[in-house]
Amino acid sequence: MNKKRFAAAFLTAVFFAAPAPAAEPVKIGVLLPFSGVYGGLGSDQERALGLGFDTFGRTVGGRGIVLVKADTEAKPAVGLQKARELILRDRVDLLVGIISSAVAGAVRDYVHNAGVPLFITNAGNDLLTGARCSPWIIRTSFSNSQIVRGMGPWLHRRGYRSAFLMAFDYAAGHQMMDAFRDSFTSAGGAIAGEEYPPLGQVQDFAPYLVKLKSAAPDVTFVFFAGPPAIKFAREYAAFGLNRGIPLAAAGWLTSALHIDRQGGEVDGVYSILNYVPSIASAENAAFQRAHKARFGRAGSEYGVAAYDTARLIVDALAAVNADLSDKSAFLRAVHAVSFNGPRGPFRIDPATNNIIQNIYISQVRRSARGGVTAEVLDVLPGMRDQARGCRM
Amino acid sequence: MTRAPEARDPLAMVLAAAAAIAWLFTGDFGKEVLSEVAVFAIFAMSLNLLVGCAGLVSLGHAAFFAIGAYAAAAFGVFVNLPLWTAMPLAVAVTAVAAAVAGFFAVRLSGVFFIMMTLAIGQMVYAFFLNSRAFNADDGMAGIGRVDFSFLGLDSGEPAVFCAFAVVAAVAVFFLLRMVARSPFGHTLAALRQNEPRLRSLGCPVLRCKLAAFTLAGALAGFAGALAAQHSGFISPDLAFWTVSGEVLVMVIIGGMGSLSGAALGAALVILLRHHLAGLTEYWVFYMGVLFVLMVLFAEDGVAGRFSWLLRKLHRRGKNV
Repeated sequence: MNKKRFAAAFLTAVFFAAPAPAAEPVKIGVLLPFSGVYGGLGSDQERALGLGFDTFGRTVGGRGIVLVKADTEAKPAVGLQKARELILRDRVDLLVGIISSAVAGAVRDYVHNAGVPLFITNAGNDLLTGARCSPWIIRTSFSNSQIVRGMGPWLHRRGYRSAFLMAFDYAAGHQMMDAFRDSFTSAGGAIAGEEYPPLGQVQDFAPYLVKLKSAAPDVTFVFFAGPPAIKFAREYAAFGLNRGIPLAAAGWLTSALHIDRQGGEVDGVYSILNYVPSIASAENAAFQRAHKARFGRAGSEYGVAAYDTARLIVDALAAVNADLSDKSAFLRAVHAVSFNGPRGPFRIDPATNNIIQNIYISQVRRSARGGVTAEVLDVLPGMRDQARGCRM
Repeated sequence: MTRAPEARDPLAMVLAAAAAIAWLFTGDFGKEVLSEVAVFAIFAMSLNLLVGCAGLVSLGHAAFFAIGAYAAAAFGVFVNLPLWTAMPLAVAVTAVAAAVAGFFAVRLSGVFFIMMTLAIGQMVYAFFLNSRAFNADDGMAGIGRVDFSFLGLDSGEPAVFCAFAVVAAVAVFFLLRMVARSPFGHTLAALRQNEPRLRSLGCPVLRCKLAAFTLAGALAGFAGALAAQHSGFISPDLAFWTVSGEVLVMVIIGGMGSLSGAALGAALVILLRHHLAGLTEYWVFYMGVLFVLMVLFAEDGVAGRFSWLLRKLHRRGKNV
């Protein structure tokens, strides 16, 4: 009897002496494609995310940060299943990632209903912070229209009066071209023609380039990303079009991930994007130095979004002392965070949950060392999306 | 090889008990998995009507699963119908689609029937993949669930929807058992065993096959309508031929011709997928090994082995 009582007292003492539940780590689910066509982008972001947490803190408010990876394969159905597993089985506190807008569209309702904060690090579909916005979904990358709508007036100011538009026939392609067309025509420009080749079925851009040539615009504006971007720029140069009709593009055409391999083919291309490695600031220099030291190559626009997300999460967690029991307090903390990152001033717009950031217009030039780099010509500061159809 | 439906089905009772225990004692994630099992059990049982009863091996059954899912989603999202109305409509649409497809398919037999169903499945896949109205390869989101608020229940809760899915699976089980025991079911079994003889007896063979094809398609559509509500998101992948292959594997592993076996096959494949995928990247490989072993050493599937074991135990009990 005595022994039992002692044991009970001992257990009680241990129980109360045990550290508060706050010592449990913050679990963050990482939803990225590690296989398939977007596998390279997924691992680029995952590494930069790790670099970010190593830089800005692996422990906050006495709690460690644990990352749980899940491979979305960039397939909507798989992404949704993985999100459900992370939330229900692994019981993550936060979600980070998502390259493909199709995957983001698939997980949107589930994440919204589950009330788990999701930080989107790439997927740019306007609707995610527009008509389908959610208080729980924060985007640290960009919206499609945010990237390109500064390009129309800028090209017009440079004397280009007519433009030919080209992008793949899918949501992102149309959103980018719609935003550019609006901005270019309201500045006084005219559209010489538009072409939307089917996504994933184009072996050869030649038929479209012939149409482009006969339309004879002052400038061409395109959006292509990944391997098709490299192919498009190559064929554009091979047709000799780059000598007569300047090429302007959403900056993924000459992404930091592959501009080295593109070389002279993209010499002179105008690009508009939220990040280029050549931005001159102490924060960017520190990011690029750390990235090169650890991974042996320059950090890209994909990596920088994941890196900034790590900082946003660490800062917001610190503001609430890593206490996630009140999720709305955490979201308010997210909205209150602002810092100067590699991309410049960073903050989240409380009206849409989309990032407010600088947009950079640059031109690809041969550098003194023989390679090509995108050099910044102009900065459009603090680009902010209007809350189109978004009610929190 | 006739397996007349037994009066009592011990395997079905074991499965029902396992589902009840799983529902009572697992967390939200377990209930999500159980809902998935119930949906695929319906899907597999509907295919069993074709493969197990009528001997028609279809490699395009996922087409009807996807049509049911898309129809339920379209009636729900575009027309704004409540799912209690959208679901029966989806089943009706799928039945019509299956009747049209079946009209062409049942005229063929053997390898040609398999190729025809495969082609139909891929046509449906290609249609959804390219259709703007259905959001092409981005898929459709924003699909709700049936409304249980008149019972004071929220079907967004895993426990509620899971119970609904399991009850639906049990209902489909009884429906298909009734069909198998009806004169129509016996005709299908006879058709599998000796079609020329049945034909010479004056039985409208094509009409019987078409009826089976339509009923199986409609029930697959019902499973699809449930799947759409369960995940809240659908994509053209649902119609892809690998899904048809997977459900065929469920039927074969479970035991062709046994209704409860098909349900068990669905449970086994889905549970293995969830557990193996967590353990190893090569889970598809291990599934393949299991499948080969099953086909080599247990042609009658897990259900067949189970009833063999029961018979043996029963005999031993008598001898002692």
